[in-house]
Amino acid sequence: MSYSKELISILITYILTQNFILSKFLGICPFLGVSKKLNTAMGMSAAVIFVMLISTAITYPIYNLLVHFGLEYLETIVFILVIAALVQLVETAMKKFMPPLYNALGIYLPLITTNCAVLGVVLLNIDTNGYSGTMENFGRAMMSSLGAGLGFMLAMVMFAGVRSRLESCDIPKFLKGLPITLVAASLTSLSFLGFAGLVENMFA
Amino acid sequence: MAEKKTLRQEFTKGLIKENPVLRLVLGTCPTLAVTTSVMSAVGMGASATAVLVCSNIAISLLRKVIPSKVRIPAYIVIIASFVTIVQMVVKAFMPELDQQLGVYLPLIVVNCIILGRAEAFAGKNPVLASAVDGLGMGVGFTGALFFMGFIRELFGSGTFLSGIAGINGGNGLAVPFLNENPMLIFVLAPGGFFVFGILMAVANKIAEGKGLPKAELHGCENCPMAKSCTIIHKEDCKSNEEVASK
Amino acid sequence: MKKAILIPTISLFIICLCATFLLGIVNSVTEDKIAQNAVQTEMDSRKVVMADAVSFGDKVEGNHTYEGVDSPYSYVEALDANSNLIGYVFVTQSTGYGGAISTMTGVSTDGKVTGVEFLQINETVGLGMNATKDSFKDQFKGLSGVIGVNKNESTETEVKALTGATITTKAAAKGVNIALDIYENVLGGENNG
Repeated sequence: MSYSKELISILITYILTQNFILSKFLGICPFLGVSKKLNTAMGMSAAVIFVMLISTAITYPIYNLLVHFGLEYLETIVFILVIAALVQLVETAMKKFMPPLYNALGIYLPLITTNCAVLGVVLLNIDTNGYSGTMENFGRAMMSSLGAGLGFMLAMVMFAGVRSRLESCDIPKFLKGLPITLVAASLTSLSFLGFAGLVENMFA
Repeated sequence: MAEKKTLRQEFTKGLIKENPVLRLVLGTCPTLAVTTSVMSAVGMGASATAVLVCSNIAISLLRKVIPSKVRIPAYIVIIASFVTIVQMVVKAFMPELDQQLGVYLPLIVVNCIILGRAEAFAGKNPVLASAVDGLGMGVGFTGALFFMGFIRELFGSGTFLSGIAGINGGNGLAVPFLNENPMLIFVLAPGGFFVFGILMAVANKIAEGKGLPKAELHGCENCPMAKSCTIIHKEDCKSNEEVASK
Repeated sequence: MKKAILIPTISLFIICLCATFLLGIVNSVTEDKIAQNAVQTEMDSRKVVMADAVSFGDKVEGNHTYEGVDSPYSYVEALDANSNLIGYVFVTQSTGYGGAISTMTGVSTDGKVTGVEFLQINETVGLGMNATKDSFKDQFKGLSGVIGVNKNESTETEVKALTGATITTKAAAKGVNIALDIYENVLGGENNG
């Protein structure tokens, strides 16, 4: 498989077959909490994509630095601090230099520090794409972050639609609220199971 | 109010009344992700409890030293250190558990329960109370995970306690009928959401009987970052209240 | 104003320093144990995939190109009680559904697979994880050449795919195929003395 084909397959894998929310259970809090309205769902996911991309771009070289000094065991603590600092920095910079963008995305940024999808993508990138530090691997890592972010957005937006339908339904009393939301999430996730095997047969 | 409570009350509140998973709806990611078997569910619960107790103690000890401005980053550093320690210990002494939990073990860092307890309790209360509070919350978390893991393993693989070397060579106890006809969907992702939904419904029903309010996801109200969160917080909470009032 | 910035910065710095120091100590305690675990798992698995062997030679590491992809591997010689060569045990890498799969394959001197174990595997529980069951691993025993994947049944050259986990099955077969390929092309196959 050529490199560009591989990148496309990584992207599709993370959007559909290995969707972060629906099959890896990362980022469930915003998925359940912020998916009530379509516009907040969009804003939140856009901010997540943005933060995922920049944190991967920064943590990947940092990991190579850690490997160089034999300090791999510090990865968790270093990554979470880098992400937290980065988010703060981006928020401040956005507020000052790009007020329109800040109004659209900035409000979601503080929430993202403790979003497990962001730390998850960074850690998984190291796990699955190796850390030999080559440009090819860096490309793979960036692509999987983009895929993870887009998959997050897809799930959020789809689910916002599902929830708006739920509002007008006559639900049994004991299932009202969170329980029915989770059952709906279960069905959404079930539909994504259908994508299994898609990617490997696409280029076969 | 808090200081009048006895230690016993601090411990028991986390078990049922303020159960982090079933009442406060925190830490949903691990609740769904690692509950495919009892062994990994309890392993995750125990690891998170260890981190929770240690970080609560450390934060409570340092609560007068840490400047409030850099409170959150300091908490994150402390929590991340304990997570890394637990991670290393699990890797060294329980390699099978490490394989099962995978990336979800380091992700305890961003488990809202831990940062949430640091912010809501340990940062304001004495050491002993904080430790007991952490232990109670941790046991409550582990209990909820155990139920999830038990149901999913029972129906999904038809076994109980598989993966523990001492029991039937790591294959666990086979449950008649279910073992021959496992309902695979229970251990897959949709089964996780479904079982959690049903458990929430049951928990709500019990709470209703006791006159407690229903567990509801308050947008981000329970999230420790909620204070720095402006618009989502207001909007979602308002809509929640509106729904409730209807 | 200056003091307001300085104090939080210094205290945060001290906390970081203490945390790193603490982690360094714990790491120095657990590091050896973790490395030991990996070695122990490998030793135990060798005996499973090559049950007839009494002792094993030194580990040889290298890189091998299979189907245009370069991946690291290692192997050891398997010896019987009289120190005669009876086969090789390979450790090869492939990528499954949930990440890297590290496969250990025993290959006898006549080019047949004697056993398969997975040193590292992180697939979906209930689907891909079934690869670790004996009923799946035993299918590889006695096969040689290039092993294929069949969706319906196992044949003389193919293994039966796991239900709902074709990717995992293919990755497992690939790991074994790499080992067989190294045996054939790097170690000289059956002509090897």
